[in-house]
Amino acid sequence: MRKAIAPIVALIVVGAGLATFFALRASPEPVTSTYFLMDTVLTVTTTGGDAATINEHLHALASGVDSMTSYYKSESETVRVNTAAGRGPVSVSPEYAALLKAAVAVETIDHGKTFDIAISPISSLWGFSTKDFRVPAAKEISDTLAYSHSDQLTISDTTVQIRDSRARIDLGGVAKGYSLDVMEEYLHTVKPQPRQVIVDFGGNLLLYSGGKKRDWKIGIRDPRGQGIIGYVRSGDAFVATSGDYERYFERDGTRYCHIIDPSTGYPGTLNQSVTVITDIEPMHGAIGDALGKVFFCSTAETQRSLFPAAQNQGAVGIVIVDAAGTRSTLGPITFVPTTAQ
Amino acid sequence: MKRSDRITVVVILTAMALVAVSWIVMHRTRGTVAVVQVDGQVIATVDLMSREPQTLHITGVLGPLVIAADGKGSIRVTESTCTDHICVHTVPARSPGDQIICVPNRMVITIEGTGTGIDVLAQ
Repeated sequence: MRKAIAPIVALIVVGAGLATFFALRASPEPVTSTYFLMDTVLTVTTTGGDAATINEHLHALASGVDSMTSYYKSESETVRVNTAAGRGPVSVSPEYAALLKAAVAVETIDHGKTFDIAISPISSLWGFSTKDFRVPAAKEISDTLAYSHSDQLTISDTTVQIRDSRARIDLGGVAKGYSLDVMEEYLHTVKPQPRQVIVDFGGNLLLYSGGKKRDWKIGIRDPRGQGIIGYVRSGDAFVATSGDYERYFERDGTRYCHIIDPSTGYPGTLNQSVTVITDIEPMHGAIGDALGKVFFCSTAETQRSLFPAAQNQGAVGIVIVDAAGTRSTLGPITFVPTTAQ
Repeated sequence: MKRSDRITVVVILTAMALVAVSWIVMHRTRGTVAVVQVDGQVIATVDLMSREPQTLHITGVLGPLVIAADGKGSIRVTESTCTDHICVHTVPARSPGDQIICVPNRMVITIEGTGTGIDVLAQ
């Protein structure tokens, strides 16, 4: 009897060994692609499925959003709307109108005091559109601020009108997040489903798992140093980070970041970085992107009072590093600080 | 011990060794490396575990850049032809996930490696 068992055991063990070996070998390698658009980097990492094709398609979708929303490209809907400022309504695509409405809906949670898509004349004063940076005079800022508000806009389902001829809109504050919405919608339809996709579009993340839903450990970057200050856990989500360290210039020892506080016309100084996690629902990529600016330009007190409204719009949790470097969170998320600092 | 038992033991040990080797191969740490890309193509990788300082002269889409690894695990852009110099002012990169980006030159330095225990970096 023993003689009969021994070879069978041996066979099972060898079989298991080989199976493990080939299973490990067969697990798909992630395919990472890097693209440049919207003046930033789009990095897509797809594991499983037809990864290379998926990456290319996601890039094409982002390019489509860029063509629609760009502040610079002459054929974009934004340029058509801006060019017609002060001259009556312009017809726009339903997608464009929907994006504009979503952005304005985020503004309303704080009456446009912390985020405003019509702030771009102020950004231009500071040189953020041309990279010809300067600190404008206080009078220039107050004069320009008078018409740099989205109460200049009338938005219907098919038209947009800017009343003051000097006012302009810029969807740079939502276009990357919105691109993730468009990508996420496409990813659901892909066959075969990829195991997972990570999209990083200039600080906006899409975390997508195709089959079995997974838990993600999201590292929060140290806004002043190297590496991470800790992490939070989340299921599939959009993760938008607004930081003062990405685009800024310095004059006389002062750092001026590219996120303009619409209530003052000056770059936001209240926080170093804000990371907003929104759940996977239509438009929540764009909304998370906009909420990042809202909370970046808010005091701790305002952040706490605005959070319920942000939750109603899709925010799950927010990680904040304020100007003094103090970390805090809003919502049912747990921030685990890095111990080895 | 019978001959067949000996064979069984040998086969089991061989199988275990095979599993162990494949496990190690799949999970070995590659150390920390900086991957330098221009326009989506990897043009250089720098071993940040190396104790030797290294200087790289590369060509971006706009023009030349100089990249320096300090031999202590950090890498930075020291010179660039771009106008805004965001890349030069970026904090040196050293931890997996860290990036230095020069959009005008379409150049990205990404730190790759294991051991951070995180899946993605919000930055």
